[in-house]
Amino acid sequence: MQSDFQIARHYFGHYLKPYPWQLIISVLTVAIYCGAAVYTPILLGHAVTQLTTVLAEFRAHQTVVMAPFIRTAATMITINVVAGFADCATSAILGWVAGVSTSRMRSELFAKMQRIGVSYFDRTEDGDLLARFTSDLDNIFNAMNQVFVNSFYWFGSLIGVLIMMFSSNVMMGVVTIITTPLAVLVCWFVITHASRAVNEQQRAVGALNGYINEQITGQKVIITNGLQQPSIAGFTSRNATVLQAAQRGQIWAGMLMPVMSGLMLLNTAIVIFFGSWYVLQGNMALGTGLAVVAVFVQYAQQYYQPIIQLTSVYNIIQQAVTGARRVSEVFAQPDEVRSTDGKVIDGVHHGVKLTDVHFGYLPGVEILHGINIDAPRGHMVALVGPTGSGKTTVMNLLNRFYDVDTGSITIDGTDIRALELTSLRNNVGIVLQDPQLFSGTIRDNIRFGDPDAGDAAVINAAQQARIHDYIMTLPDGYDTLITDEQSVFSAGQKQLLSIARTILTDPPVLIMDEATSNVDTVTEAQLQAAMNAVTRGRTSFLIAHRLRTIVHADEIDVLRHGTIIERGTHAELMAANGFYAQLYRDQMPELATNA
Amino acid sequence: MTNDINQVQMLVMSILQIVLRVPITFAGALALALLAIPDLWWLLLAMIVVIGALGAFMTVKMGGYFGKIQHYIDEVNTIARENMMGVRVVKSFNQENAQMAKFNHASGLMETLSIKIGYAFAVMVPGFFMIANVVVGVAVLLIGNQITSHPAYLAVISSFVGYVLQILYALMNAAFIATGATRAFVSLGRIGEVLRHAPSMLFPNRAPVLNLDGGIELRNVTFTYPGDDEPVLKNISFKVQPGEMLGIVGATGSGKSTLAQLLGRLFDPDTGAILVGGHDLRELNPRSIRKAVAVVLQRSTLFSGTIASNLRQVRPDATVADMEWAAKIAQAAEFIDQLPERFDAPVDERAANFSGGQKQRLSITRGLIGQPAVLVLDDATSALDARSEKRVQEALARDLGHMTTVIIAEKISSVMHADRILVMDHGRVVGNGTHAELAATNRVYQTILDSQRNTEEVG
Ligand SMILES: Nc1ncnc2c1ncn2[C@@H]1O[C@H](COP(=O)(O)OP(=O)(O)OP(=O)(O)O)[C@@H](O)[C@H]1O
Ligand SMILES: Nc1ncnc2c1ncn2[C@@H]1O[C@H](COP(=O)(O)OP(=O)(O)OP(=O)(O)O)[C@@H](O)[C@H]1O
Ligand SMILES: [Mg+2]
Ligand SMILES: [Mg+2]
Repeated sequence: MQSDFQIARHYFGHYLKPYPWQLIISVLTVAIYCGAAVYTPILLGHAVTQLTTVLAEFRAHQTVVMAPFIRTAATMITINVVAGFADCATSAILGWVAGVSTSRMRSELFAKMQRIGVSYFDRTEDGDLLARFTSDLDNIFNAMNQVFVNSFYWFGSLIGVLIMMFSSNVMMGVVTIITTPLAVLVCWFVITHASRAVNEQQRAVGALNGYINEQITGQKVIITNGLQQPSIAGFTSRNATVLQAAQRGQIWAGMLMPVMSGLMLLNTAIVIFFGSWYVLQGNMALGTGLAVVAVFVQYAQQYYQPIIQLTSVYNIIQQAVTGARRVSEVFAQPDEVRSTDGKVIDGVHHGVKLTDVHFGYLPGVEILHGINIDAPRGHMVALVGPTGSGKTTVMNLLNRFYDVDTGSITIDGTDIRALELTSLRNNVGIVLQDPQLFSGTIRDNIRFGDPDAGDAAVINAAQQARIHDYIMTLPDGYDTLITDEQSVFSAGQKQLLSIARTILTDPPVLIMDEATSNVDTVTEAQLQAAMNAVTRGRTSFLIAHRLRTIVHADEIDVLRHGTIIERGTHAELMAANGFYAQLYRDQMPELATNA
Repeated sequence: MTNDINQVQMLVMSILQIVLRVPITFAGALALALLAIPDLWWLLLAMIVVIGALGAFMTVKMGGYFGKIQHYIDEVNTIARENMMGVRVVKSFNQENAQMAKFNHASGLMETLSIKIGYAFAVMVPGFFMIANVVVGVAVLLIGNQITSHPAYLAVISSFVGYVLQILYALMNAAFIATGATRAFVSLGRIGEVLRHAPSMLFPNRAPVLNLDGGIELRNVTFTYPGDDEPVLKNISFKVQPGEMLGIVGATGSGKSTLAQLLGRLFDPDTGAILVGGHDLRELNPRSIRKAVAVVLQRSTLFSGTIASNLRQVRPDATVADMEWAAKIAQAAEFIDQLPERFDAPVDERAANFSGGQKQRLSITRGLIGQPAVLVLDDATSALDARSEKRVQEALARDLGHMTTVIIAEKISSVMHADRILVMDHGRVVGNGTHAELAATNRVYQTILDSQRNTEEVG
């Protein structure tokens, strides 16, 4: 377990490394600004002194010598104009650095997300992952914007006050800073609690976002099941957690100032008490001594301000570090395994073969117990069987969403793990059981697998998938904007679209996992004619519960509890009168007799 | 959305501040400054006008920026989210790079604008300070020049400078709150947008909660999706007696799911009425509707948690026995019993750890757990093998004979035993009768039937 500090150093070091000049320049501009801020009151003091002199001169000699005063005032104006520009430059430079590097963090986080395997997304809540893109990066951005200037400024002030104190009187200086450990300890205590609450708050916000996200996705389910009350209750309780954490954070953060002010008073009292005692001991002349005490009372107060400010800067840093840790957690996930010198294949010449494949999603729970399938090029293999028997799982392995535990899957004799992953997936097209659309136009969705495809190819794919006619009835046709949740499609139409999407990429190996389960049977029959043309010369795997769609398959594998229990053509299996024949008869008993 | 709510919350806080602190500071400091050095009233006025104008200009400009950046943020989030949900699609099409390009484009727009906003602030804040400091400098210079005629001013220079800074802080706070407010108003507008979606539907929450029977009646129902011109359902009328089973078949896109959703009052019809248990849905307390009608949607959505937590969402007091009862009818018991934790088994995000048919059976279980008078199954057994589907139907008929069931299906075999079958085509009911009647007389039904006849002759 790396400490937060290490993570933050590594993380910010990585993202700030490209901008050394910007950072150096902003150190200079901050220094100019801080210098001006410190110097202006001094100049003002000068100006007042000079005016006093002018006035005295005037009263005494009726002469007016304004030149030194005017120089001072002019300097003051000039310095402030320069400082203003410097401040402006600081904000602009740091804002730019923060913006550009946060954007890079966002892009790299997304890129990392694209490299992680499927199983991570099955396990992780979308909302929590999404929060890393939003609130965590926001906190990092804010910190980069503020921390640098503030910490520099207040650290400078702290050093300044220390120098002034110790150059004026070492003994009193020591007395003034003697309570510092106590102050730091109290600060540290309060801030640890505050930041613990902040951490909690961030986690709670993540949970809340996840919840909202999920509830919005399942909005219809919520309404139709009368879940609005529980849904709102769920929101309220999560929101209450956020609120509680936020309040706790506020209370602790709110305590900081009063407590520190109290300490400051205490410190002042100590300075006065000790100073007076010191002077009364006869260590100093009474007049000078009391003047020193008076000055140190001011120093004591000036000295505490930076400490308070720096601790609150620390708070912002804490949030950013939490953010950095949460983002780093994603980066710590292993990438999908890609063989570095993977073989690139162009088409499938002999076929696909599964040999004694064993697989389980969770350790100790095996789902597939030794699957053997031989699918020569041009063959259509159908996988049938009860729900949950492992059909989708087999398909997940062909595409390497997951890797086999033991056994092997080969294409033209090469283990698919030895193939270049992109090449494998280019050659294996899959229509998933649950079609997912993306925000954009219908056209973009159809050419998802090949964004450069021309209109003719898009229309051709849509026609083959029997969805073209419907798209043409939409006012904007192929340019209709859709998102997954707000598509203008019925469930069956969505499936047809996802078939069109796969047809367009023209893969040598085609997997259709319940691809038409929501499509009406008339359309399905038309589609099948088109699909027969598409699958000709390809190796295809079909999963379907509607057995009618697979009777033509070259081989039907009946899967049950993760084992293939029967295998053969439709005629053979019907003749064997086993599990398949029963499934088939179950499906439409009376229709069959009517025929 | 949480972001929007935060923005509004911050606005409320700052409004309180603005109302209490800022005007008092401003007026007080201004009065004191004028009292201290009355001659310089014009300088103060100039400062207030310049800062005020700059602040106003920025606020207006920022308003536009904030609206736009919120839009970009949404876009970035949408892309991130759909890439999580559709990770299998992206990977199987090798579109990681294309999606990255799409994301980076949106993220780039967001970056450019947020840097622009940063620049605006980078000019605004130091600009205000610079103006104030220059004003202080000029004031000192002017006072100095007339010091011989107004010696008293010497004593008040420091306090005058203090007042000028107070005025500046007040103005700056006001400007910040104003820019914050524009941001919050953008958010408020978005929240309002969400809230505005509902009001077309009014829910009589004070109406008594009734125990309705399962009778259904549709009278001339026409329905158009918001934003469309062509109605999806056209003049639909039919009646179902309590305890009957109604089948609905029809082509993809003919309006079956839309009809199912209307029965659960997800939408209201444009014209006509839907009655359940003899009452118009629009006059019923929503709780009566939820008690009476359970719709199992075509796309099963389960929430992450456990199986039990999903079921208890519908019926908080459901005992294990209740859950077993419902799971048994839905044929879910078969695989739930295999899980070591049974009803406490975890449900992952998107229920990814269950197969398609398992998800559907869990959804049906959830539909049954409340023991509704009307159960609508919208293609809810499409991912089930024929056997499991048959068992579900048999169990429904055996244990819940008194329940009205509306079964939407693509397979005739799923509905052929229904008391009546509706045939839908392009949003109209084109047939209504028993399987035998329709098979004999209805053209559309016959076409569907033909497409499903067992191809014994082929095999
Ligand atoms: N990501 C996962 N994590 C854990 N278990 C899983 C996961 N995906 C599937 N399973 C389990 O693996 C088994 C096989 O599931 P699979 O999806 O392969 O079934 P299927 O044959 O496709 O069923 P259906 O016809 O219902 O789609 C099921 O018991 C399921 O619960
Ligand atoms: N949210 C929506 N906005 C606009 N149009 C929609 C929306 N949902 C569905 N439609 C359109 O309404 C029509 C009916 O859709 P519906 O989902 O009711 O069909 P369905 O009969 O259930 O089809 P399927 O058998 O494919 O499930 C379709 O043409 C569809 O494109
Ligand atoms: Mg499956
Ligand atoms: Mg539908």
